[in-house]
Amino acid sequence: MSRCSPPTFACRLLEAVLPTPYREAILGDLIEEYRLRTESTSRLTASRWFWSQTCRSVLSMVWSSLRSRDCLISISTAMGVYIVMKIFEHAAELAISKWVAPQPTTYVVLAPVVFLTSSAIGGCVAARIRRGATKFLALMVMITVAVLIDLKVCTIPVPWWYEFGFLTLGPIAVIIAPTLFGRLKQQEAVT
Amino acid sequence: MKRGELLGSLEHIILLALVRQDGNAHGMIVRREIEERTGRNLSIGAVYATLERLEAKGYVSSFTGDPTPERGGRAKRIFHVEAAGKRALEVSEQTIRSMTTGLKGRWRTI
Repeated sequence: MSRCSPPTFACRLLEAVLPTPYREAILGDLIEEYRLRTESTSRLTASRWFWSQTCRSVLSMVWSSLRSRDCLISISTAMGVYIVMKIFEHAAELAISKWVAPQPTTYVVLAPVVFLTSSAIGGCVAARIRRGATKFLALMVMITVAVLIDLKVCTIPVPWWYEFGFLTLGPIAVIIAPTLFGRLKQQEAVT
Repeated sequence: MKRGELLGSLEHIILLALVRQDGNAHGMIVRREIEERTGRNLSIGAVYATLERLEAKGYVSSFTGDPTPERGGRAKRIFHVEAAGKRALEVSEQTIRSMTTGLKGRWRTI
């Protein structure tokens, strides 16, 4: 963090949460005010003010989005995509265990591939329907995996990092896949 | 403005702050103006959420300014009070005035 730059994590949080139309304006306003406050007070006071504004602004925007029903539409989209994603995942796992790899050890190797593929496809579909839905979809995947780990549904003995991989890589695949796909499409359009 | 539809308290204050800035200002100026005059420390998110609502109602309009280095290369969003916004302010002021007329001295008896 340089002398005049605001807390990086707070900026990233705002970039992730704020709605697109006002994201640039709000961040710009906060950065401008932060610099003025750094000059008139101290960097610590200015950072504290920046964090307080970040937390309160995120809450205000979430509440406003809930009131305007934008959030509810995104949650519904995420839920719909999630159901389709799980059906696809279940069908693929069934096919693998029946025809491709009936042995439990091969299944352990192939399960993450199916899970990450369905998460990435789900993320792309959700982003195509509604951009904001990917965050909720990632959250749903995270909650489901956490519940499954807690219930210990996996009967085959696996190391801790195997389950932890599902918990972290699943939501990341949901969010990153549409971004990568979008960049690839942009590059294709340029060339 | 529909009959009987009043501005919310924050909408009212924010519209007044914009009028005080000659009808044109960006979010942080509005926030600062309110803090200086009322002591109310609003979050910038609350200011923009209200401005967004006012824009949807047609009371204000906005345009994007040029990005500046002091803002980390990010552009300003300048808000402008529209004629409908001025009318809404007048109606709100009038309603409050007609409801408070003749109440002076009666506060203590309630």
